[in-house]
Amino acid sequence: MSKQDKRNREEITRRHMGLKASARISNTIIYIILILMSIVWLIPFVFILLQSFRVELKCPVGYVIPQQWGLDNYIALWTSDFKKWYLNTFIIALVTAALQTVIVLCMSYALSRFRFKLRKSLMRFLLILGMFPGMLTMIILYRVLKDLNLTQANALPGLILVYIASSGMGYYVSKGFFDTIPKSLDEAARIDGATRFQILRKIILPLAKPIVIYTVLTAFMGPWGDFVLARYVAFGTSSGYNVAVGMYSWLTNDQINNCYTMFCAGGVIVAIPVTILFLCLQRYYVEGVTGGAVKG
Amino acid sequence: MASVKLTKVKKVYDKDVVAVHDFDLDIKDKEFVVFVGPSGCGKSTTLRMIAGLEEISDGTIEIDGVVVNDMQPKDRDIAMVFQNYALYPHMTVYDNIAFSLRLKKLPEDVIYEKVTAAAETLGITDYLMRKPRALSGGQRQRVAIGRAMVRDSKVFLMDEPLSNLDAKLRNQMRAEIILLREKLNTTFVYVTHDQTEAMTLGDRIVIMKDGYIMQVGTPTEVFEMPKNLFVAEFIGAPKMNIMPAELIKSSAGYSVKTFGVTLPVDGEKGKALADKYVSGKQILLGVRPEHITLAPEGPNAIPCMLEVNEMMGSELHLHVYTEDGTRLIVRVPTVNLDVHERESLVHGKKLWLTFSGKVMHFFDPETQENLLN
Amino acid sequence: MDKNKPLEYLMLSRWGKIKYNLKAFFISIPRGIANFFLKIGKAFRNFGRAVADDFTDLATTFTKGGIKTKLSFFIMGFGSIARGQILRGLVFLLFQAVFIFYMVTSGVYWLSMLPSLGKVGPREIYSEVLDTYHYEYNDNSFKILLYGVLTLFFIVAFLYTWRVNVRQNRIADEILAKGKKLKSGKDDLRSLVDDQFHKTLLALPLTGILVFTVLPIVFMILVAFTNYDGTHDGYINNLFGWQGLENFRTMLSWSSGEHNYSATFGEILTWTLIWAFFATFTNYFLGMFVAMMINKKGIRFKKGWRTILVLTIAIPQFISLLYVSKMFAKNGIVNGILMDLNLIKEALPFWEDPTWARVTVILINIWIGIPYLMLIATGILMNIPQDLYESSRIDGAGPVKQYTKITLPYMLFITGPYLLTQFTSNMNNFNVIYLLTGGGPTNPKNSWASGNVGDTDLLITWLFKITTGPEAQYYLASVIGILVFVVVAIISLIVYSLLPSIKNEEDFQ
Repeated sequence: MSKQDKRNREEITRRHMGLKASARISNTIIYIILILMSIVWLIPFVFILLQSFRVELKCPVGYVIPQQWGLDNYIALWTSDFKKWYLNTFIIALVTAALQTVIVLCMSYALSRFRFKLRKSLMRFLLILGMFPGMLTMIILYRVLKDLNLTQANALPGLILVYIASSGMGYYVSKGFFDTIPKSLDEAARIDGATRFQILRKIILPLAKPIVIYTVLTAFMGPWGDFVLARYVAFGTSSGYNVAVGMYSWLTNDQINNCYTMFCAGGVIVAIPVTILFLCLQRYYVEGVTGGAVKG
Repeated sequence: MASVKLTKVKKVYDKDVVAVHDFDLDIKDKEFVVFVGPSGCGKSTTLRMIAGLEEISDGTIEIDGVVVNDMQPKDRDIAMVFQNYALYPHMTVYDNIAFSLRLKKLPEDVIYEKVTAAAETLGITDYLMRKPRALSGGQRQRVAIGRAMVRDSKVFLMDEPLSNLDAKLRNQMRAEIILLREKLNTTFVYVTHDQTEAMTLGDRIVIMKDGYIMQVGTPTEVFEMPKNLFVAEFIGAPKMNIMPAELIKSSAGYSVKTFGVTLPVDGEKGKALADKYVSGKQILLGVRPEHITLAPEGPNAIPCMLEVNEMMGSELHLHVYTEDGTRLIVRVPTVNLDVHERESLVHGKKLWLTFSGKVMHFFDPETQENLLN
Repeated sequence: MDKNKPLEYLMLSRWGKIKYNLKAFFISIPRGIANFFLKIGKAFRNFGRAVADDFTDLATTFTKGGIKTKLSFFIMGFGSIARGQILRGLVFLLFQAVFIFYMVTSGVYWLSMLPSLGKVGPREIYSEVLDTYHYEYNDNSFKILLYGVLTLFFIVAFLYTWRVNVRQNRIADEILAKGKKLKSGKDDLRSLVDDQFHKTLLALPLTGILVFTVLPIVFMILVAFTNYDGTHDGYINNLFGWQGLENFRTMLSWSSGEHNYSATFGEILTWTLIWAFFATFTNYFLGMFVAMMINKKGIRFKKGWRTILVLTIAIPQFISLLYVSKMFAKNGIVNGILMDLNLIKEALPFWEDPTWARVTVILINIWIGIPYLMLIATGILMNIPQDLYESSRIDGAGPVKQYTKITLPYMLFITGPYLLTQFTSNMNNFNVIYLLTGGGPTNPKNSWASGNVGDTDLLITWLFKITTGPEAQYYLASVIGILVFVVVAIISLIVYSLLPSIKNEEDFQ
């Protein structure tokens, strides 16, 4: 081996090592960033959990670790209206999830698979309709619901009605998914003798399982955390509140010093079921979110 | 088992895009008809109109004498095989094949018998419990055919069934389709863009372009008597050589003058020209690559330069250009060449070509129609 | 690249290219606007023509039709029943009966009141028997407007159905003339789960949208032309009536007076746009970076990192946002910890100072938004063909070049429409602002304006605030709502005209 060769080889090895070292450095930096991010992302939830066990003071304080631990706040929840709010929210979210999914799937299947005369115009119309702030319609919906006696204490059916009524507007994600199922499957099934209804039931729905789950999940989480509409409809009547509206009332200026830790405890109770549900179904959620964004 | 009759069938998209123009065709019972043409020629659209997957803008389609224009696909008693197979991904092979039978509410034991019989025929019995994604392309294709088979329908439609397969598998499946056809003994309508498939499979071939039928005929007819320049170039590979020429009519008969060389039109072609009273004029002369032969230098041979020599095994494809730059292809069988001769055919070699009058095709440069029509 | 650019474009420097594109864009604006109006004009013309055609069609149907057809003009469904399509005919007939019943019993009343929105308001009445005054409530402007609009909808629906009913005769005659059979009621029902299945599928969702979205929006648009507010609620306090364009004048006219809605509106709109811009793009780029970091080869626990971030999506916003808002309060944990660590002496004015508040909401929104973008970016990044990177590495591109030349263009191309919807939904991002700051800190300059306008208020939170409480000014709220719509529509139009043709939905099928 000549000297030149040797030098070359050393050079190559050094470069190789250098590459490895620089990769190690950049990976370390990334790990540090990710760890810092994880801390920032988790901190509020850890704090909320810790403070929910604080016994000594019920108001917001400048420290995190309780000086006195206990379940007082959770017990206080049990004796407050929170039970009722929780039940309200649960019923609303469950019913809405079921009905909204049906409506969204009907809508998106029809728009994805049928080519009827006004289809394009309809989609454009819905797009334009979506540009109006939805908040605007609440004023009238509230008064209509009030006329129908579906507000305040009867807010439950009223809210469900409003949540599901316009859910057809949110067809984009699932239509995008349906669009990716080859049309030749429909055609093959039609030739095999299936009606459109049978195609939906036997071919499309089994294939669209991820998006069905995504739709159920989002339809459940929407009302579970909804604040604006619920507050409008149940205004001022505690028995018609959902958790969001009820717990918001604990943080108003005259309540916060008595109810802050209770809010934390309530937050934990509210967050647990959705978080578990969400983490179990995360895969489908991710599929829906990415698919929806890509397909516009 | 049924005839299919298309009368003035038309397909119009978005009010003004015409995909298929007045399509007339009578498909006889048990006939195997192939629609062939370049992409966008309307062949698939026509097939899908027969299937009922596309609406018919105008005209009528009859199956077994019944107008089916307004019938749903399932009521037309047809079976169809799709280009991408269209197997239901969430069902096993068995369920895929059984799907249509279950929709007909047949008893399970009948379904079992039919499905296993079809699987036996197609050699997919071992895969019945698998899902489509665990199958190879060829196996999927068989399942798709199996799904169509069990329906015992009057008409069997196939939309480019082999184009997703690799070349070797395609040859094999082509042979199997011929066997299948004998077994099923029913009417077939087959769509492809591949002229070899069309020639080997079809009893009759329908050649289409831009929504128009260019020619309908048996493989021999379209090969030997192409109605126009398009058909002439489309059928046969490598495609037919087209050269500008002058048709000369003299007392001795017809001859053509091309690239400064005059060749006599002998045999039936000359007689046919005479029967049609064709006068001498500028024409486009078509000669298939396999009908051109290498000749010794002489006044009756077309001089040209060899550009590329493709060795195909049984034959050579010589790409040559004449003195005015026209490119021609010549197929030379290797059977008569020794190694030395073969290797002398290199870029830049000067060659002389000739062909007989029996293999000439004459086209009108204006209408592009065959003068012998 | 645009195919009508000259080839010389390729030789321009980067700045040259940008200049060229900008120039081309501004030159194309007038044409774009002209085209837009031309299109609208054309649409109107086409509509006019279609209506005219329809009338001639109606006339010929009547004159040429037999007695069955002619009677169908007056008794809906008569022709269908006479031709044996009993079910269809009965549906038509029933619809007509319901319509007539509705119009006679109430529709006519609502329509007649619509121009005035009520004639007799609530008044005090002296009762001689009891020797007391009591209130008598009369017309209800709100109901008049609502049911008036509903009646108009109903009339349109009726006219359409009537037209369909007439056309049925013509179609049926044509079918019979060809010697074919008409569809029976059973066929009709069967087709509703087969070739007409979309009608079944869409019936319920579209009815919901019509009643709970379209109707309220039309109603609220009309409210912008009235004086409907807390003191004119239309029934109990006072009637409300038509105002013409008065409210738009209030909101938009640039009077020199001190109390100037247009100035307030302008301020809030500016902040709304700034907010939407930062909220969208900080999330977009940071989310993408996070996704790239997690996706990088050699990084472990990919799923774990993602799950931690995704927690913020799972936990309802009202909990996380309200809690975070309290964390940053004057006496909150953040200030507490910082003071304990002796980093600061006085509490930082996270929510008290306008600039602090604005920056803080944007920062917290990053906390909320990154996980979504991370998920989306992950999905897209994994779809970028790896050979693009490999070939670029062979061509000598480093990581930065790879990002700017491959990753970013790919992402932007695919997520273009998504960015637009993100932007517009951030403009209307009620939750983040309302739960974090409630719109505060209050802006003393605008304290006269209704709704207690604050420095972080978006148009949408302002709108909400205006509509709550006894001093609600619904008419102003709907003016704002309409203006929000106009802004969103304009932005969408501009962006869509700039985007390449990715909006073509069939490209994805």
